[in-house]
Amino acid sequence: MGSGYALLAIGFTLIFGVLRRLNLSYGPSIMVGVFFGTFLFIQFQAGWYTVLVGTVLGAAIAGAYVERLCFWAIKKGAAVASMVSSFAVWMQLEEGVTIAFPDRTYEFPALGDFELIELAGLSVRQEHVIMLGIAAILVFALHQLLYRTRFGLAVRAVSEDPNAALFMGVNTGRVIFLAFILASAIGGIAGYFIMATEEVITPKFGLQATFKGLIAMMLGGMGSVPGAIAGGLLLGVVEKQAEWYAGAVWRDIAAFMLLFAFLIVRPGGLLAQHTAARDLAALRRV
Amino acid sequence: MLEIADIVTSYGKIEALKGVSLSVAPGEITCLLGPNGAGKTTTMMTVAGLLKPRRGSITFEDRNITGRDPGHIVRSGIALVPENRLVFPDMSVHDNLRTGAYSRSDNEIEDDIDRMFERFPRLDERQLQHAGTLSGGEQQMLAVARALMARPKLLLMDEPSLGLAPMIVEEIFRIIRDLNAEGTSIFLVEQNVHQALKVAHHFYLLEQGRVTFGGSPGDLEEDEVIQRAYLGSAETT
Ligand SMILES: Nc1ncnc2c1ncn2[C@@H]1O[C@H](COP(=O)(O)OP(=O)(O)O)[C@@H](O)[C@H]1O
Ligand SMILES: [Mg+2]
Repeated sequence: MGSGYALLAIGFTLIFGVLRRLNLSYGPSIMVGVFFGTFLFIQFQAGWYTVLVGTVLGAAIAGAYVERLCFWAIKKGAAVASMVSSFAVWMQLEEGVTIAFPDRTYEFPALGDFELIELAGLSVRQEHVIMLGIAAILVFALHQLLYRTRFGLAVRAVSEDPNAALFMGVNTGRVIFLAFILASAIGGIAGYFIMATEEVITPKFGLQATFKGLIAMMLGGMGSVPGAIAGGLLLGVVEKQAEWYAGAVWRDIAAFMLLFAFLIVRPGGLLAQHTAARDLAALRRV
Repeated sequence: MLEIADIVTSYGKIEALKGVSLSVAPGEITCLLGPNGAGKTTTMMTVAGLLKPRRGSITFEDRNITGRDPGHIVRSGIALVPENRLVFPDMSVHDNLRTGAYSRSDNEIEDDIDRMFERFPRLDERQLQHAGTLSGGEQQMLAVARALMARPKLLLMDEPSLGLAPMIVEEIFRIIRDLNAEGTSIFLVEQNVHQALKVAHHFYLLEQGRVTFGGSPGDLEEDEVIQRAYLGSAETT
């Protein structure tokens, strides 16, 4: 579970890092992707990889739509307008999906019939091990992309100083758009694996994904990719413990309590770096 | 090489440039001097494609580049050393240089980075350091090296000596002279009139969005240039 949250948080971090703006519609975009995946499964009995590709594509397209509407169309310096309109689009996406899928609750294909496996004396679900592996691979790939490619260089330049990036001839609008799609696609992968272990899906998943991703990002330290991973894993562990000891209703309560505790004790997040202060200042302006 | 004809650039309703015309000859150092708020930075930004002029035209090597996007202008051979340097503070010195070559697609970029480190030994020692940890002078060298990574024929420099210690200022002007001797044309905005007039082949005075003088150093007394570059001339104030 934690690795799913970590991936959600990485997507969030990518958008926040590049744009210094919060995209509340991030979760709902993923929800659209997940519903598209379910649609492929129900209509065509699609296999797991088709559902995965469908989910990622759906999330990426919804993410592109959100970017054009809430971030590209709204000029820089209007971070609040972007956030508010991303909230409006959230409602729009949720309503759209509810109309297209009126039963609200749908089955999502499980990854397969897995047994519990023993790992260092603990019994864990095999899906979770697979998810952790996928998350590790994705994080590695993302790192290579950001630090080894020309596109990654442009993304980092835009996130540090969009004006200076423009001076270097970077087409900042296009870089932001592509980073947005990339973030939504990563969110789509996270959404797929979270759903494949939960096996039921409702339009409220958008809310879940936004909150869990946001909390994991804030736990780790705004705008830091390693922080997002650490925050996601921590959140997953704490939620599972709370559920185990205190019952399912305590899961979300524990998540919020954890966040509040962190905001008081360590407001910069787990991996607070020297940029954390700047990120928080940016968030306050938001 | 660069011809600016009657450009008008505004921020909203405020006209910062009210019909500026000037030219930069190939192989020369051309300086633009003038008081704060005269529109020097606006002129640089308009040439670099970051601001779109409302009127007028900009021609570079006989090609019209008016209103083209910054990427196109960098590729056509104009690079900018921006006011206040604007290096990427959390990126390594090495990566900062790579951003300068963003518009290039050849495979000699790493060779050019090595050449920059030969030219600027102080950057060489700090290759992997974050640019934000460099001193002001080192950051300015980095900003120059980063612009050179685009292999420009014309280098725009906006107040490169701003806020630097006198010794570093000397070094910056030595670099400007060296680059020019190697064939790079330079369009320089400066507040340091004394140094600027020493390196310039031609210079212009810009006051309140208008060019009020154009000529060679020696055409005007240095005292008068200083007077007008810092305070503006009597007629316009
Ligand atoms: N971003 C901006 N928005 C509005 N007005 C600006 C902006 N930048 C500069 N100006 C105005 O344009 C004029 C010229 O500014 P600038 O080109 O920066 O002058 P200089 O570089 O010669 O000091 C000034 O009056 C300044 O107040
Ligand atoms: Mg200026």
